[in-house]
Order: sequence, then structure tokens, then C-alpha cells
Amino acid sequence: MQIDAYDREYMCSGHVGCAGCGATIAMRLFMKAMGEKTIMVLPACCWSVIAGPYPQSAMKIPVIHTAFETGGATASGVRAALDMKGDTETSVVTWAGDGGTFDIGFQSLSGAVERNEDFIYVCYDNEAYMNTGIQRSSSTPYGAWTTTTPGQDWKRLRKKNIVEVLVAHRIPYVATANIAFPEDLIRKAQKAKSIKGSKFLHIFASCPTGWRIPSEMSVKIARMAVQTNIFPLYEVEDGIHYTINHKPKEYLVREYFKLQGRFRHLTDKDLDQIQTMVDEDWGLLLKKAGERS
Amino acid sequence: MNTPTMNLKPLFMPRTHETTEGNKTGSWRYLRPRYEDKTSPCSTACPAGEDIARIEMLSAQGFFKEAWETILRENPLPGVCGRVCFHPCEGVCNREGFDSSLAIHTIERHLADTAARNDLKPALEKLASQPQKIAIIGSGPAGLSASWFFTMLGYACDIYEALSEAGGILRWGIPEYRLPAPVLRTEIGRIESQGIRIFTGKHISESELNKLRGNYSTVFMGCGYSRSTPLGVSGETSESVKDGLEFLRSVRQGEKPSCQGLSAVIGGGNTAVDVARTVIRLGGKAAILYRRRRQDMPAFAEEIAMAMEEGVALHELLAPGAIEAQGDQYKLILRKMKIEGQDKDGRGRIVPDGDKTSEVTVERIFTATGADVAEPWYNPPSDKSGAITLSHCQIKFDKEGIPLVYGGDLTNVTKNVTQAIASGKQAAMAIDTYFQQGRDAIESRLASCRVGDGLSLSMEVYMQGARRLRSSHIVQPEEINTDYFQFEARVVQPRLLVEERTGSFNEIDMRISANLAIREASRCFNCGLCNQCDNCYIFCPDVAVIRGRNMEDRHINFDYCKGCGLCAAECPRNAVTLEREGL
Repeated sequence: MQIDAYDREYMCSGHVGCAGCGATIAMRLFMKAMGEKTIMVLPACCWSVIAGPYPQSAMKIPVIHTAFETGGATASGVRAALDMKGDTETSVVTWAGDGGTFDIGFQSLSGAVERNEDFIYVCYDNEAYMNTGIQRSSSTPYGAWTTTTPGQDWKRLRKKNIVEVLVAHRIPYVATANIAFPEDLIRKAQKAKSIKGSKFLHIFASCPTGWRIPSEMSVKIARMAVQTNIFPLYEVEDGIHYTINHKPKEYLVREYFKLQGRFRHLTDKDLDQIQTMVDEDWGLLLKKAGERS
Repeated sequence: MNTPTMNLKPLFMPRTHETTEGNKTGSWRYLRPRYEDKTSPCSTACPAGEDIARIEMLSAQGFFKEAWETILRENPLPGVCGRVCFHPCEGVCNREGFDSSLAIHTIERHLADTAARNDLKPALEKLASQPQKIAIIGSGPAGLSASWFFTMLGYACDIYEALSEAGGILRWGIPEYRLPAPVLRTEIGRIESQGIRIFTGKHISESELNKLRGNYSTVFMGCGYSRSTPLGVSGETSESVKDGLEFLRSVRQGEKPSCQGLSAVIGGGNTAVDVARTVIRLGGKAAILYRRRRQDMPAFAEEIAMAMEEGVALHELLAPGAIEAQGDQYKLILRKMKIEGQDKDGRGRIVPDGDKTSEVTVERIFTATGADVAEPWYNPPSDKSGAITLSHCQIKFDKEGIPLVYGGDLTNVTKNVTQAIASGKQAAMAIDTYFQQGRDAIESRLASCRVGDGLSLSMEVYMQGARRLRSSHIVQPEEINTDYFQFEARVVQPRLLVEERTGSFNEIDMRISANLAIREASRCFNCGLCNQCDNCYIFCPDVAVIRGRNMEDRHINFDYCKGCGLCAAECPRNAVTLEREGL
């Protein structure tokens, strides 16, 4: 990690993100790693709003607002234009939410990384369509309440494992990161910047509004997602080499669930089942990394 | 052919041209964060009120001199206290419930030793000179402390000491293996270098005291308790029962009294343990006879454990009954005791176990059941009219209004080195307030200098230092964000082997390396004290935390702060307070 990374600032105050927004923390930290030679592509997501209404911008770098399903394609175009100008220094970043990554922007992302376009695709994951009113996405975890999975119809389907999907594309670099682990996040962003080809960062970004948690809890909750193995920190190079970055204390998942309003309805039996699912996923990851617990 | 020309208009791209900083999102806020340093539990528990959280913070950063000076602002004897203080600070350490408490005394000693080794001179604030002169009787911890703090406040001090060297109980009562003389001499040398004169071999009698009162504006009585209290049993003579403190004094004066055979030591305090261990070092055998149980002994548990390792025997629930001379030996008749109920202090209440007795024949008997003044007039007068009674001293005025202050063991409820230091400090503050603002101001002025809610006072606060801005709220364990701390074992105090200990009076506790001291100090939570870790800055979603070079420059930009509370929640040490907006 560059020593002065923390001192740099590419975001402005006055943006309209909710109090305690995890996505803004993710952007701040990520941009500290990237520096000013960055062009950002923003498909529709919370950040389309946070970045400011015309003529304002919360970012000190060029940002292109684009359509929901075009994150990968727009970035490919920006990269091609820069290459034609002979600018290989500037990094192109797509900054998309989980809706724009897991669901609506998926074909364009898959296409771009299949061509191994030289850009970084960042998915900041707040596990639902938060900007439009907390509708479930394929990133919403098993057990969660959303406005489209209300009451007893809470989501009974697993969260899509997007990292493994990207790993299957055999791109040079895929990593998970978390707002509660700023050093790890900054290091991974800088590593991605230094690699040529397609890079994918999956950043866990808590959402106080949609998760029904107090705003001051957003970092704590994000940290617990790692501590409980719900969101392990790891990186995969060339689709083959797995490295687990953080061996957590392995708190029980119920510790994480009981703090959030979106999981309030879950019974002990449900939580036991979720614990089994998390343990299973963690075991699978350990196997891929060639490690034992 | 007429080809239609394409109507090429320039592509319109809306481009932003201003930042979002026009939106004053601070208007959303209903909770308001505020940087506010708070009080650590250790500093309240310290009778001298040392700023321990800050001392550890500076030590962890390698600023040993600054850390040492931070101690000296509240306690002139860190080399002594790092060795012999009973460190109540460690008993209330918030880290205790996490893994184990911080070795505060070990770091204190390390700082003092480092300063001594490098012959450091402290750079301390000193107030402008005052016309009044202070006489101090006794150069024990209370007298030394009083002189140090009176000097800080601008007064000239003279100390009168009856014995040949200054230090009182520190020089003559505590054995060399716990407190080596060179350590004490260094500390006293530093106190003298502040301009304090110490007249040794100058015993002050009651009539000389009255003469002194004419020459000085105040006299501080810190004569201490230097005589062991008698047992009060039949057969007790100056021949059969020896004064434990007198024995320790003779050994520290260089004598090597014969200790062959078995010596009985009556008592359960540190003096009893010191006497027994000294007997062992002089080649004798020692048995401590105590009327209560081991867990009730006022002596430090570690000292008792080490004494037993060295071969001291401990017999519990035995009270001395009578002494009979048997040739050169003494037969000690002991009454057996038993526990029945509980005393007010929580220890088991002892009552005689019927008429059961036991006997032991010994070469000599030492008493160490408690101590008292050497001359009765040292005690503060029982007539308290017109006097000011404070927690650690008593001030009596003569007809001309000249104050006479009784301090140290003479007035302290708990009598030990650090409480004596607290007494000297309180006396200096009280008398300064008396001179500057009159006697009615004393109580409130002292109350404003309290560390947290306890009895300890801070000279730094009294002198209007930065510490006065600290909130008196004492940081509780649940207010520490332990996600930011890793389990780490407490430093192990290196010690001489038992065999090395019993053969000499060499200091038992060895020094630790600077490396270890830094690592140990880094374990400190720094409860309530910003150490500029920058968590508030890193996690602020609104770029509203403005860092500066120092703590005073760090602030929150309330134009944009939405009051999410992350800075307070992610502060590892509760240095940020969250309050309702508009209060």
C-alpha cells in the first residue's frame, strides 16, 4: 500500500448518500488507491444519485453516467478511445451496484471480461436495489427481507456467487474487499490497477437504510460479515490461484443476523440452516485455496 | 448527383462544472459528534493521579522522555513507584477483561531507568517565584513529594531530615532487593536539582518546630511512622521482641546483625514480609506468624509468594499470647484463631478458637504488626477546631494564621508510598490556594483538580495544563471497540533465580528492554485518549473529518457532517462523544 494513500481525497462533501452509507466509504477508499488518472463509468445504481445531480459532481475525476445494463460495454469503449489516443496510463473503472452487476448489467460485464478488456470492474454490493426502494436482487442473501420479499415471503434463495462466476472467466484478477478492512481494500485496488486485462473487485458495502441497521453500525456489520465467514476476504489470480487474506475468528452467523432488521423474522432453525450454508461455502473456499480451517 | 449532406451538429455532452459542496448536508444531522478526551480508569485509581493512558501512548510511540515527564508532572518518584507501588491502576485496567491488564508499573520503571541511564533533565512547567518559603520535616515520600510540588508552584523549600541520608522509609525501611539505594539517590538528586535544599542529620524537636514556624510561611510535617507498634503481650521486652522497622533500618545502614536459627516475625504486612526475607538473606530461618489467613494479608501477594519460594514459612491464624525467656531462646505461646463471619473490609473476622494454643521456640522475635510515630507530638492535634481536614492532610493555623500541615502517614487512612506522594501534592495545592485565594477557596479548587470521580488530584490540571480539558467520564470496558485490538500476552517480569535471590540483597526484578517496553505499552487501549489513529477520518462517509497536525487541530466540518455516528462507533478508545443535536 502506498504510504500517502490515506491522505489523498477524490470525493467531495455535500453528496446525498444516506447517513452512514457503506457505498460512499467504499468509493472514498477505492479512489484513495486509484489516484486522479482514473475515468469512472457509473451505470444506474445508488452512486448515480450520490455522485450528484447535474451540474454538480461529488467526484474529482471524470465520471460517465450510463445506462443500467451497459457498465462493461461503456468501459470497453472508453478504454478503446484512450488506447487510440495513446493514453495507457489512465485506468478505466466501472463502478456498479449489485443490481447492475449480478442482474441487469451481467451480459455486458461477462462480454467485456471475456474479451479481457483492460479495465477494473467494481461491484459495491449492498445486497438489493437500494436506490429504488430496497427490491431484492440476485445478490440479496438467503433469509433477507426486502420490499419485494416482504413478511413471511422472505427470500428463500441463495445469493449468487458472483466471484466464482468471474473466476470462471479466467480473468487475471478477481478479489473480494470490505469497507471495514480499509488497508486490504486499498491494497487490492492498487494491485488491480497494476495488472493488465480485466479485473473484478467485489466490495461489501453495508446499507443502513435497506438493512434496517443504525447508521453508526454500518462498518461494524461489514466487519462482522468477514468475521462470521459470510463474506470471506480472498483473491483469485488467473482464475486458478486462490489466496485467503483473512482467517477470521469464526463468530456464529447469528451474531451478524440478529443485529439487522432485515433478518429479524428468522427463527433459530433458519439461522442453523444458514450457519450450515455458510460453513459449506467456507469449506469449499478452503478446498480451492488448498488450506485447512 | 445530388448527395444529401449529413447535418453534423456537434455532440452535446452535459458536463458538470461544480462540486456537491454547495449542499450543506449538515442540516440532516440530529446527532452531533465531538472530540472529547475522557478519563482512563487507571489514572483515577492511581493515588498520584498519573496520566497513565497518555504515558502509555507516548511510550508506545517511543517518546520515552516525554512519557517520563508526563509522570513527573504528577509524581516525582517514578523509579521508586515503578518498583514498590502496589499499582492499583492495574487492578482496574480495562484490558483485564480482554486478555490481561497492562504491566503499568513495569513501563513506569523502564521510563525512570531509561531517564537515569541517559541522565535526562526534565523540561517541566514551573510557575513564577512566590515570596513564601516552606519548611518540610521529613524526607520520606510525603516530604519529597510536597517539596517537588511546592517548587513547581514557585515556592522555595527546605527539607529537614533526622537521619544521615534523605529518603525516609524508602531509604531505611524498604530492603535493597526491592529498592536499590542508587535508584532513590537519582530521584532525590533530581528533586534537589529543582533548587530544594535538604538538611540531613537535622532532627527537629518540638521547640525547634516553633522556631521554624517563625522563619517559614508554612511547615509541612511528613515525619512518617517509623516505629513498629508493640505486641502488648506478657513477657514483651526490648530484649525479647525487636522492632521490625528498626531491624530493616540497621540492615540498610550497613549492619549485618546475626540471624542464626529461627526468627519469628509477627504481622502480615509488607514490613513483616520484608523482615522475614531479610532474615533469610542474612543466613537465618524465618517464620511469619499471622493472626488471619494468607489471603487476608495486606502484603502484596507476589511478595508473599516470592518469600515462600525463598524458604519463609507462613503460619496462619496464630495470635501472640505470651513470651517466655528460655536461656538464649524464647518460647512464644500462640493462641489459635478461627474465622467467624466477615469484617467490614470483607476479610474474615477472627475470634479465638476456644482455648487452643500452640508453642514455638525461637531465637528472636520481630514485631511488624503496624507502625506508629516515633514521637507523640508528630501526630496532628486531636483538637480540630479551626483546622482544615482534607483527604490526605490536615492544616492547622497558629495565632498569626501561619499554616502547619500534617501529611503522609500522619494523616493518611491508607499508609503507603503512593498515598504519601498524594498527600504531598494535596498539601502543595491547598497551601498555594490558601496563599493566592484564601482558605475558603481550598475545597472547591481541589475538587476541580480531581481525576475522574476519585480522590486523586492532578497537578497538571491545577496548573491549567491541557489535561484540564479532559472529561471526568471514566471509560468503561464496553466503551472500548475491541475489534481493533489483538490478544497479546502481558510482558513477563524477568527476575533473579531463587538461588541468586537468597544469597544477596541484589535487586530481584530485572529491567526489560526498550523493545519489550514499547510492545507492552502498545497493548494499552489508551482509554478515552485520541492517539490520532485516524479511524474517524478513514470511515467518515461525508469527508467531514478534518485532520490537523495535533489533537487540537482535528475537527469535524459540521457543514457536511450528517451525524451518522461512525466516527464515535469506530473510535477504538471512546475519544469521540455523540450527543443529540441542539442540546
